[in-house]
Amino acid sequence: MRLALRPYLLIVPALLLTCGILYPFGLGLYYTLFDFSASKPQPDMVRFENYTTVFTQEAFWNSAWVTVLYAVGAALAETVLGVAVALLLHRSTIVGRILEKILILPLMIAPVIAAIIWKLMLQPSVGVVNHLLRPFGLGGVQWTDTPTGALLSSIAVDVWVYTPFVAILALAGLRSLPASPFEAAAVDGAGWWYTFRRLTLPMLWPYVLVAVIFRFMDSLKVFDIIYALTEGGPGDATVVLQIRAYLEAIRFQRYSFGISYTIVLWAVVYLAAMVLVKHLGKIQRKAAEVTT
Amino acid sequence: MDTHVHDRRRFLALAAGAAAAPLLTACGAGFGGDDGKSDGSAADDVTGSFDWKREKGTTVKALLNKHPYTDALIADLKSFTAKTGIEVEYDVFPEDNYFDKLTVDLSSGRASYDVFMLGAYMVWQYGPPGWLEDLGPWMRNSAATGAEWDQADFFPNLLRADQWSLKAGAPLGRGGQYALPWGWETNVVAYNTEVFRKLGLKPAESFDELTELAGTITQRAPGAGFDGMYGIAVRGSRSWATIHPGFMTMYARNGLRDFTVDGGKLTPAMNSSDAVAFTEDWAGMVKRGGPPSWTSYTWYQCSSDLGAKKAGMLFDADTAAYFQAVKGASPASGKIAFHPGPKGRDGSLATNMWIWSLGMNAKSKKKSASWLFLQWATGKEHLRKSAVTHNHIDPVRKSVADDAAYKDKMRHLPGFLETFETVVDQTKIQFTPQAQFFDATTSWAAALQEIYGGKGARSVLDGLADDLAGKVG
Amino acid sequence: MRKRALGWLGDAALILYFVFALFPIAWMVILSLKPADQLFSTYFSFSPTLDGYRTVLGDSEGIPFVRFFVNSLVVSVGAVALSLVVGLPAAYASARWRFKGSENLMFTLLSFRFAPELTVIIPLFVLYQKLGLFDTYVGMVWVLQLVTLPLIVWIMRSYFADLTPELEQAALLDGYTRKQAFFKVALPLVKPGIAAVSLLAFIFAWNNFVFPLILTSNEAQTVTVGALSFLGGDRPKYNLTAAAALVSVVPPLLLALTIQRYLVRGLSFGAVKS
Repeated sequence: MRLALRPYLLIVPALLLTCGILYPFGLGLYYTLFDFSASKPQPDMVRFENYTTVFTQEAFWNSAWVTVLYAVGAALAETVLGVAVALLLHRSTIVGRILEKILILPLMIAPVIAAIIWKLMLQPSVGVVNHLLRPFGLGGVQWTDTPTGALLSSIAVDVWVYTPFVAILALAGLRSLPASPFEAAAVDGAGWWYTFRRLTLPMLWPYVLVAVIFRFMDSLKVFDIIYALTEGGPGDATVVLQIRAYLEAIRFQRYSFGISYTIVLWAVVYLAAMVLVKHLGKIQRKAAEVTT
Repeated sequence: MDTHVHDRRRFLALAAGAAAAPLLTACGAGFGGDDGKSDGSAADDVTGSFDWKREKGTTVKALLNKHPYTDALIADLKSFTAKTGIEVEYDVFPEDNYFDKLTVDLSSGRASYDVFMLGAYMVWQYGPPGWLEDLGPWMRNSAATGAEWDQADFFPNLLRADQWSLKAGAPLGRGGQYALPWGWETNVVAYNTEVFRKLGLKPAESFDELTELAGTITQRAPGAGFDGMYGIAVRGSRSWATIHPGFMTMYARNGLRDFTVDGGKLTPAMNSSDAVAFTEDWAGMVKRGGPPSWTSYTWYQCSSDLGAKKAGMLFDADTAAYFQAVKGASPASGKIAFHPGPKGRDGSLATNMWIWSLGMNAKSKKKSASWLFLQWATGKEHLRKSAVTHNHIDPVRKSVADDAAYKDKMRHLPGFLETFETVVDQTKIQFTPQAQFFDATTSWAAALQEIYGGKGARSVLDGLADDLAGKVG
Repeated sequence: MRKRALGWLGDAALILYFVFALFPIAWMVILSLKPADQLFSTYFSFSPTLDGYRTVLGDSEGIPFVRFFVNSLVVSVGAVALSLVVGLPAAYASARWRFKGSENLMFTLLSFRFAPELTVIIPLFVLYQKLGLFDTYVGMVWVLQLVTLPLIVWIMRSYFADLTPELEQAALLDGYTRKQAFFKVALPLVKPGIAAVSLLAFIFAWNNFVFPLILTSNEAQTVTVGALSFLGGDRPKYNLTAAAALVSVVPPLLLALTIQRYLVRGLSFGAVKS
């Protein structure tokens, strides 16, 4: 009995804290069953009407699509770029050793500030990016003016901020890989590509996957970068779910309806996380000996 | 083993319950809404003769937006405290998140702030839920309001703009006075005199001319020594704020309406054939002579482009140009002139405006002191001082607008006073008041962006009208 | 020969990435040194001035930036410390014992990390107003647990799992209690992990925008929201925003430099050691 309880006792503080956080979630969920808004401060219970409205709105499906595009795009680009940077740094050349020290810098700029600075830099009239590209005939590029451009620009800012996160985790993984399989491969005269595909990548994957999970989940609920960069425009091109929820709940004062949006988003994120974490557990177990 | 599981489950349930219980009782149902409105105004409790010192020793809390008008107010607070014995505590937030703060705070039903800044459009959102105090009874009570406040001295269209009966579509100027005008902005054209002189241009008198002019500048200015200059800066971001300055002004000058009201029912009118044609023309003007990356343009970008000599003209709030024009503010200072902008149908100079107003929290526990503050802040003495010694331009009072010292100060800006005097009588809120204003104008801005991006104006605006018809009733 | 060429190519690619990564920061430095009237008129040639920093640190724009800075410090340090105190035992327990529901519990914890902020922000606002937590340090430290706790529990859990239990068992045989074994054996071994994950948690707490935006006012507001204040008023003052943002990078940067040697090594959590 004593032994059986110990793990729970150790978890209790975290659990209590979690309940503290859980409460507002419960309250939020409860709100969505009403038609609570500025024009209705004494709301009526409407059961699931908010959700049926959400799912029948074209705006919702557009936002969901944009959100997925953004999250997949950002997570993919950050993974590829982050792993590439980590591999290059892992060679520990002189250049690499110097640059490694400043790798984390972009992560320290708050994303909302980063987006504001990027917006200023990308402003064709006075921005420095177009100024520098002018000699190459690219001075007139209107970065955020088309739907695709706006989405790609937002993703680029996300990539700028969070690639170091993936790179650091991947580098940590690379540094902790055992040396012996690589030595054996070298003795066998295996080529670089073969070693990379058969040894490095599979062994590195659990580390990278943790980073990917964090990045994918986080970019599904992106808010600040788009809030500061495009406000959702042009048209509805970058109105991700959290922006829509913000507009509904805060700017238009339809609290219940706005929160419904975020609950749906949460469900999506939760499911996606569950699948990914299951997968992570599987490959972690595969890669390691279970200790008990 | 089984019992263990049960034990644990019960334990977990208990732990969760223990954590949640005190919170549950603290929160009741959990909604932030109000606890019922009371009848009658607190203004009726103020009797006897008017006395500035009536509430001495009280502290009033104010929520303010970062603005030059606010700087002038804060600089002068000492004289308010000296006059009344009331202390003012204030929080200042930048415009980007000011209204989010204010809205969330008011919606919580708490009286965190007694007085705050707001725009006339906010009255439409804050008024119906009962968050704003009707100031009418205070103004009419001679025990609460000193004679020197002089209501007749306000420009009447400004006072009317903050007056509403809280019914969607009902015209402004009737019903409760939910805020007091304090500082405002008319939407006119400001232009760079240097480029106009060099290229031999004159301000446009019609919208077609304006489009021509903007195109001409974009074409010719870069070759004439104005590197990267384009014709006209107007807002274009996906925000309600894109619609109300230049766009709404020109829209109204063309005799167009946002909604038609018939027997209390609002019908969207942004898709009338004239409105469709005008919206197409506006997008066309932006394409010919507007800023690159227009869809990201807020007033920051617009005004800084005018200041950086990247925009030949600016069709926006006169203050946005003014603060680039003051000495030492930007490379363009000293080279900015003002013009009422193109005339519309039948020579109309109908102009939309933004009014920084001051309102009182209906939940305030210190209404009498708050009213003294509002009275002082919108009074002749403070407004004159802040107009002359600070940058509180665009006076809401005739006495300040006519003040010799103020006029003297503004005279060095070519066309500023003339423009102000030309449009002031035709300046009013050109929107139809209704609570979904922010939703409607945000969608409108998104529609504008789509038309600019090449979609057909007719179908986009029809879609907008359909969407709004369901929401605005 | 070919190998050397490849090495250079690799270095060139690295430098390319770092140009992309560092240019915006360099540009912020330039912006912060520009006088207000030259913000947009020139790109690289201007008369540098420290006025921007003086204005920001001197509170002279009417924005109490120094107070926001202190707030950020208190709130972020507090959030990370609380998360460590409650998170480390939880991570340890779930790594050492496979008990009923452990996976689900851990997953629930993690899922908060992925919850949209706006789900809780309005209920929390109402709640905080009633409990008197609005615009307070306690309120901010509490809500930031959403950001810091899952990160710490998850990363430290893999870390503890990676630690072979034999060491603690040996300690138990030597007469240590479980508690001593945890504090004297397990904890010191995962120190690099704690350092690294604390840094990440600190950065994420420090940079959070939505929570302080809505849940604080003047008293507990943080630098992230505060830095935006300089954009309002008569003209957008990007030089001040840049200066404020750069000043606010100093604490995480100092922290990162202090634990530099732990950072990459410390994040080598998980398994894959044979």
